[in-house]
Amino acid sequence: MKGNAIMSNKEYIIKDADDLRWELGENFHDHIIESVYNEAGAIAAKVIIQKEESKKFHFDQWLDRLVTSRLTGFPIMFLLLAIVFWITIEGSNIPSGLLASLLVDTIHPELKLLAQNIGMPVWINGLLIDGAYLAMAWVIAVMLPPMAIFFPLFTLLEDFGYLPRVAFNMDNLYRRVGAHGKQALTMSMGFGCNAAGVIATRIIDSPRERLIAIITNNFSLCNGRWPTQILIATIFIGGAVPAHLAGVVSAGAVVGIALLGVLFSLVVSWGLSNTVLKGEASAFSLELPPYRPPRILQTLYTSLIDRTIFVLWRAIIFAIPAGLVIWLVSNVDIGEYSIAEHFINWSNPFALLFGLNGIILLAYIIAIPANEIVIPTILMLTVTTVNIVGVGSGAGVMFELDSTADTAEILFSGGWSALTGISLMLFSLLHNPCSTTLYTIYKETHSWKWTVVSAFLPIAIGLVVCFFVTQIWLLVA
Amino acid sequence: MSNIQNCETCPIHNVDNLTKLGINMEGIDYVIALTGNPNTGKSTVFNNLTGLRQHTGNWPGKTVTRAEGAYRYNNTKYKVVDLPGTYSLLSTSTDEEIARDFILFGKPDVTVIVVDATRLERNLNLVLQVLEITERAVLCLNLIDEAERHNIEIDHRTLSRELGIPVVPAAARQKQGMDELLKMIHEVASGKYVCKPYRMKTISKKVSKAVENVMQKILSEYPSLPNARWVAMRLLEGDQSIIDAVKTGELGKIYSVSKTQPQHVA
Amino acid sequence: MEPLSLLIIGVVIVLFVLLLLHPRKGLLNFFKKSKRDSTRVLIEDSLKHIYDCEYNKSASDINSIAGNLNISTDKAAKVISKLEDMGLVDVKSNKVSLSESGRSYALRIIRIHRLWERYLADRTSVGETEWHSSAEEAEHILTDDQANELAAQIGNPVIDPHGDPIPTSKGEIKEKRGIPLSKLSVGELGRIVHIEDEPQSVYSQIVASGIHSGMQVRMTEVSKNKIKFITEGEEIILSPLIASNLTVLPEQKSDEISENTPTLIFLKPGEEAVVVGISKACRGQQRRRLMDLGIVKGTKIKYVMESAGKDPVAYEVRGAIVALRKAQAAQIFISGKGLSNV
Repeated sequence: MKGNAIMSNKEYIIKDADDLRWELGENFHDHIIESVYNEAGAIAAKVIIQKEESKKFHFDQWLDRLVTSRLTGFPIMFLLLAIVFWITIEGSNIPSGLLASLLVDTIHPELKLLAQNIGMPVWINGLLIDGAYLAMAWVIAVMLPPMAIFFPLFTLLEDFGYLPRVAFNMDNLYRRVGAHGKQALTMSMGFGCNAAGVIATRIIDSPRERLIAIITNNFSLCNGRWPTQILIATIFIGGAVPAHLAGVVSAGAVVGIALLGVLFSLVVSWGLSNTVLKGEASAFSLELPPYRPPRILQTLYTSLIDRTIFVLWRAIIFAIPAGLVIWLVSNVDIGEYSIAEHFINWSNPFALLFGLNGIILLAYIIAIPANEIVIPTILMLTVTTVNIVGVGSGAGVMFELDSTADTAEILFSGGWSALTGISLMLFSLLHNPCSTTLYTIYKETHSWKWTVVSAFLPIAIGLVVCFFVTQIWLLVA
Repeated sequence: MSNIQNCETCPIHNVDNLTKLGINMEGIDYVIALTGNPNTGKSTVFNNLTGLRQHTGNWPGKTVTRAEGAYRYNNTKYKVVDLPGTYSLLSTSTDEEIARDFILFGKPDVTVIVVDATRLERNLNLVLQVLEITERAVLCLNLIDEAERHNIEIDHRTLSRELGIPVVPAAARQKQGMDELLKMIHEVASGKYVCKPYRMKTISKKVSKAVENVMQKILSEYPSLPNARWVAMRLLEGDQSIIDAVKTGELGKIYSVSKTQPQHVA
Repeated sequence: MEPLSLLIIGVVIVLFVLLLLHPRKGLLNFFKKSKRDSTRVLIEDSLKHIYDCEYNKSASDINSIAGNLNISTDKAAKVISKLEDMGLVDVKSNKVSLSESGRSYALRIIRIHRLWERYLADRTSVGETEWHSSAEEAEHILTDDQANELAAQIGNPVIDPHGDPIPTSKGEIKEKRGIPLSKLSVGELGRIVHIEDEPQSVYSQIVASGIHSGMQVRMTEVSKNKIKFITEGEEIILSPLIASNLTVLPEQKSDEISENTPTLIFLKPGEEAVVVGISKACRGQQRRRLMDLGIVKGTKIKYVMESAGKDPVAYEVRGAIVALRKAQAAQIFISGKGLSNV
């Protein structure tokens, strides 16, 4: 060959190295690392002076035993999760109401008045103020308070060093389903944002397990879905028990849905690793870092600035065009009805099979870019189509709801039952990831096939679960 | 620990000399690489220097991509590159490739190795590997407060003598030791502090012949290469970017530049 | 409609969809398989077979090709004439031999096959018995560029997981080495450098006895009916038929893993030991990860705690706490005074 004849000195170096590699066999890397560690050990022996073990050290050990023990490990995990949600639910009610009355009750009429005074055409006025502005206002009122409470609490746990212990405890389950123990970590990140969770799967070396972690990340409820879960649980489940228990029971229901998500991620991982992504459970080696005292003020500050504002900003960006779309579909009429009503009437019989209704389906289609706006869209569409008198200010207007009770009233008058609530909670857990997450999945996997699987697998599961829950409920009830 | 606190109050090492520039990269004088094991506080050090806010948390593997930022210290502008945390630079995974290739081909003027003082022995594995590659490094002995909490004392002067590079005890979460770190980065970057990096003394007999053999061949082709042994070890592991660099002669270019710089200064 | 009838319809639909989409036995997969281009596969497989015969210094003819590819002799004849037309083989008095271009084509296929096996072994958790069949598919699909990219990504390996040389991208290949395991005399040491992965039934028995490429063996008994040797502290008895699929390279110096060396799973809470080695069963990236974390020969290791799920156990290694699954712990050999009843 031509290459051989004029092989340069440089190419000879490579060739010689390759010949040596064949002679050395497979142990080269082992020998090098052993040598490095030998010398590292020798240096460490000269410079590290370990005085007697401190009390702090004993405390760390004691804490580790407590959070990883067979008896207390899992209960502590569930309890921590439940406490975080309970604080979020209880704490965000009042600020949500205040924000709603400020942004919707006070500023919205002012804007309408201003628009009238400067003689803005009615349709622009409706599109911008009743559509875009109200969508944005709603998103801020509903999402800001729970996020501002949930994220710092979660960040505190993360900063303290609790997450690796969760992965440590959960690994046995993940091993049994053929997944990687670090999937517990990426799942935890998914509780914040699925796109972030998908990026975090880079910590998993093995491509098979990484793909499983990516596809199942959507089963951890992201922050865009927490408000839906919290609100619906408060109305339909908290509302069914005495008032003093409502907070605890609602928190319990949300924890239940979150755990159901974990269960689904395990079951789907098992399914995948026994069919299309066949393989044995691979190695798991995770370093458990020492606990570090959390810096409360700093955590509050950074999680507020970095996570909360970041996520809220994203939600607003998506809410504004969605608000425009909502206003348009409910105000542009074809024949007798608006576009929204056409779709709702057409899809209602189909949706009822799954315990949902046409409004919910339409809301999920409009909310593909961002899960955050599902609830506002549902409420607005319900008011428009059921023609409730006395709330809101016309078709396609997202309106003020200063208490959960008002929301409940609207939903009940829209024909909702406890079954609709439960189905919505299930469907909110089990449906396609938002567009950002899908884009991230594509970027991480470079594969259309797996992006499509990640999108449709959860929907299929969601429809199947909702269908069977609904039909069995109807059969029993 | 106490000397750090003294330092903060003494007027010479004033943190006022530091201007955090965020992502403003204009007119950079020096490039700094931040490397270290996962979860040693690299991102916290990065945030302290640049004023940016990389995600931090107490679990290994948070930083999965490269982050860049800049700061100004004593009228010199520095670009800082936060590399993904790795346990080693000898394996073939994406994060290690990013870190390894940047330290070798990205020509950082100083490589800052951030280590966890409570887990120093394990961290030294990476330190020794980095010192095989680069001539200019600073060791940031981070989490020194945690080490103290666990009654672990580190003789950082001996460590500095052993490794031949400056060692700065720090507690990045409390912003302690940052001024000393800035000073040492400056001294190493400007050539005021000349590192004599520790190079491994004994490589297992079974493979040292092969390493020596390849190393001599590399040296005959690239006589001024300061890290021929590392390059030889990488060739014996089939590292594609090193193979390409040897083949194309890029390897020679990297080091002809960094070799001549100190001579000009002298 | 009634919920009950709806439920029944629902169940039927779900079952039907599962039947359609089942990855192995599903109708969709069946349809896909039947569409696959088979002539190219036959050509490439026969080239590989002829190459194998030449590498092992035996001859190949129409019968051996038909037998190896599991096709009729008629079909084999057609394939051979096609190969001849393409200038890939020369046929002389029934003996088929590769032409220059035929050899480089065969080496290209073998390169992709072995690279793929190395990739599966190092980077994925696909079981050993599935490497070969997966590589049999990949070798017909991957292009040269993809193969080179894969090679670069996994560190341009020169040895496949069965110990065989991987041809270079220029089509060069190393000579085979070593002697059959049965040629090792009692008391001699050797390192396994080749494990034949065909036939599948023999190979899965080798895998089941826990034998991996790169292991050191010490022969303890060679007779007509059995071959007995010690590897990684365990005694293994094989029938001569199975042992004939193993090739070893004689060695002088012994690894320090003697008979009955305990592994890390025998360590009890609070106990400390010294690592003496990692089993060859732990390979590729998994092995590197363990070593990166400081688990190398000579490292002190201490049992710290068990997780709530019982399986991963956390150990103290060089000042850090590292969690390992029991399957990994069983691959780490230890020794130490502090060990109670092993």
